[in-house]
Amino acid sequence: MKDRLTSKSSLSNFLGRPFKVIVLAIIVLAVLFPLYWLVINAFKMEQEYFARPPIMFPHHGTLQNFSEIFQKYKLPLGFMNSFLIGSLTAIFTVFFGSLAAYSLTNGFLPRRIKEVFAGWFLIQKMYPAIVIAVPVFFVISRLHLMDNIFALILMNTSFNLPLVLLLMIGFYQEVPYEVEEQSMLDGCNLWQRYACITTPMTKTGLVAVGMLTFVASWNEFLYAVILTIVRAKPLTVIIAGFITDKGLAWGPMAAMGCIVILPVIVLMWAMQKDFISGVSAGALKG
Amino acid sequence: MLISRNVKETRKDRILSWVFIMPVIIILLVTAFIPLGYGLVLSFFKYKLNMPGMKPLFIGFDNYINMFKDEMFVQSLTNNITFAILSVTIEVVVGIVVAMMLSDDSKRSRLITTILLVPMIIAPVAAGTLWRMMFDRTYGVINYLLSLIHLGPVSWLSDYHIAIFSIIFVDFWQFMPYVAVLVLSSLKAIPDSFIDAARVDGASSFDIFGKIVLPVISPVIIIVTMIRFIDAFKVFDTVFVMTQGGPGSSTEMLPTYIYRQGIKFFQVGYSSASAILFIIAMSVVAVLFNKLRTRQLRRLN
Repeated sequence: MKDRLTSKSSLSNFLGRPFKVIVLAIIVLAVLFPLYWLVINAFKMEQEYFARPPIMFPHHGTLQNFSEIFQKYKLPLGFMNSFLIGSLTAIFTVFFGSLAAYSLTNGFLPRRIKEVFAGWFLIQKMYPAIVIAVPVFFVISRLHLMDNIFALILMNTSFNLPLVLLLMIGFYQEVPYEVEEQSMLDGCNLWQRYACITTPMTKTGLVAVGMLTFVASWNEFLYAVILTIVRAKPLTVIIAGFITDKGLAWGPMAAMGCIVILPVIVLMWAMQKDFISGVSAGALKG
Repeated sequence: MLISRNVKETRKDRILSWVFIMPVIIILLVTAFIPLGYGLVLSFFKYKLNMPGMKPLFIGFDNYINMFKDEMFVQSLTNNITFAILSVTIEVVVGIVVAMMLSDDSKRSRLITTILLVPMIIAPVAAGTLWRMMFDRTYGVINYLLSLIHLGPVSWLSDYHIAIFSIIFVDFWQFMPYVAVLVLSSLKAIPDSFIDAARVDGASSFDIFGKIVLPVISPVIIIVTMIRFIDAFKVFDTVFVMTQGGPGSSTEMLPTYIYRQGIKFFQVGYSSASAILFIIAMSVVAVLFNKLRTRQLRRLN
């Protein structure tokens, strides 16, 4: 289809159409080529990924790298850890976050409390997680939660709550207040209104927020590397370990990379619209 | 908004309101306020974890003073500032250009936008590993591609002067799309008729950009710049897997430095002091950006 010459396309051809085509082609290539490279390396044999010149278009593949990470690098345990950290964090964040967001929107709290939470969002956006790493390390070891995925679930819940609260307050505000009033007159208390009436109306939003949280906790690395030793290591820590202490095991490393990246890409594809609006809201409302 | 017209609040509902926010308050206390306060206290003590017999010793502001005598700290600070300024500038400039190029809302542009989302959602650790592999001096595909046009080989990650640019590049690869996506969504707010009218009046592309587009997207640009600038001081994962702060300390950033001091060398008090200083510095940055933003908003109104 030919582009109609509308004003949007004239804005889009701002620097001239040929230049635009070149720039966009380079960018698409720069995004896709590394991912292609990762995938083909995951299926190469050991002598192949060190081949000179590198093999760009392999004719045959092997699953050897995948079976190696399965046996040698504790893939099942790591996957389980990552999955549990991601999904339990999402569940806790959505549950606690929605309770608090509901209370802040429709509950009876002093106005100041709400301002405190808005402030917290800004503060957490600003301060790097690293600044509390050392004290958290102490608190977690005092609580005997070292090398326990619960510690990571707790920390990830804390990191994701501000954005979740912010988004969910928005969802609850979209529900007409008449719905609240009517159910109040029907004699529902706050919990009943939350659980049976208002929250079900925000279901799609909750799912989207849950997925954002899942992705963020699945990808988290800093606290994962500080708070785990052996049993609780998620995939991000295992993949970093390939570089720091296992030398250049590129095939298994690439295979592991595929497993870290793939679920996130699938999720993103499924919820692209919510993802973009979540990202923009996180940036722009704050 | 807290609306409570013509509805009676019952005592039960009032109590429940507090019960509802309790879990969040408890999590906040345990994972943010208590550690932060604890960190502040620790920063005034000489406390090393790897000497079990040693009691924390109160030393006042010595940790803070020593920091500026520590070459490693000063270097990671300068590295981090260089990294932040360069990566954010490139990301924002290219991000705006890409967003404008994708603003025609054609099928192809939407597909490219989707592709652009990929780098920003994958784990930074995975992105770092991936580029670590491609940047390898001997076996990396980048040097191979360069050799085809008779360039290189370049020691992307092991040359003292180049390594930081490789890290900047990976950050750009991951987060330029973030800028582009946000700017793109604000470009949609410009009505077609504005640009048509300007065209009819004979305005050039550059006039249109400067007089119509820029004023509309500038609030978003300020916020995005602020977010990216602050995030640039959180960079950890990519540095950790790509260079470990090396060669020497040429890519050591503040987070990796604090990590190394506190978690690896157990210099708990000293590490906490740098963390506290970090918070103060980021607050100053945030206040500055906020001033800029309010001034901008006022001018728009």
